Amino acid sequence: MAAAAAGSGITREEEGPGGEAAAPQPQAPTNTSGTRLSRLPLARVKALVKADPDVTLAGQEAIFILARAAELFVETIAKDAYCCAQQGKRKTLQRRDLDNAIEAVDEFAFLEVICKVIILQQSDSLLAYINLLGILD
Amino acid sequence: MAERPEDLNLPNAVITRIIKEALPDGVNISKEARSAISRAASVFVLYATSCANNFAMKGKRKTLNASDVLSAMEEMEFQRFITPLKEALEAYRREQKGKKEASEQKKKDKDKKTDSEEQDKSRDDDNDEDEERLEEEEQNEEEEVDN
Repeated sequence: MAAAAAGSGITREEEGPGGEAAAPQPQAPTNTSGTRLSRLPLARVKALVKADPDVTLAGQEAIFILARAAELFVETIAKDAYCCAQQGKRKTLQRRDLDNAIEAVDEFAFLEVICKVIILQQSDSLLAYINLLGILD
Repeated sequence: MAERPEDLNLPNAVITRIIKEALPDGVNISKEARSAISRAASVFVLYATSCANNFAMKGKRKTLNASDVLSAMEEMEFQRFITPLKEALEAYRREQKGKKEASEQKKKDKDKKTDSEEQDKSRDDDNDEDEERLEEEEQNEEEEVDN
């Protein structure tokens, strides 16, 4: 019952106006067995996917998995960064903890090139990120 | 299709909540670190999309599907994500199936009530639902989308 209500929440979110959901989702959508389905609004993820000029169409399932993967990524990088902060006996994660985590973890190598450059420049343009993705190929 | 940069960022509130739940109680995160993680997540999606698209093109498909994304995870060396993603996908599919059956049941109930007017109304609803479901698009003809 909760799943159905939460599920329709996801669909509505996807079709929301421009996906500019500033208000956080009231409840994390879960299915009956408690597996969290997705907290990130699918509309925003869809916008990111469509920003890639090579992508023609993306199925709903693909968008959903990307959203869930992005969540897992956030959890992972936060935890890895926390290990660095712990060593410094701090209770607040700082930017430098993130930098250390990115350097230390192999899977985050793709971030080294892009994030350090973009984030240092405080650039807001994600289109610049997309251009930089050419470096990865 | 020109996207405003703000629209390509993931909502701060959600990112913050995900981070806080991943960390032990009492641990905080600076604004800069949170913002950096948010951008990193957007970059992650873009990178994963690009990878997944390569797999779709290899398979001569125009539509990105779930297995393309899973293949991309492997390519990007995020194998540890694959099992939880597969579980989430199963749950998502079950839920979508449940929703579909629920709305079909609703339609049946509507038809039972009145024959003429209600049928016209529900047909309009059907058209809206079909536009929402990309899955339906996949099963039907593939269309080109102008980006």
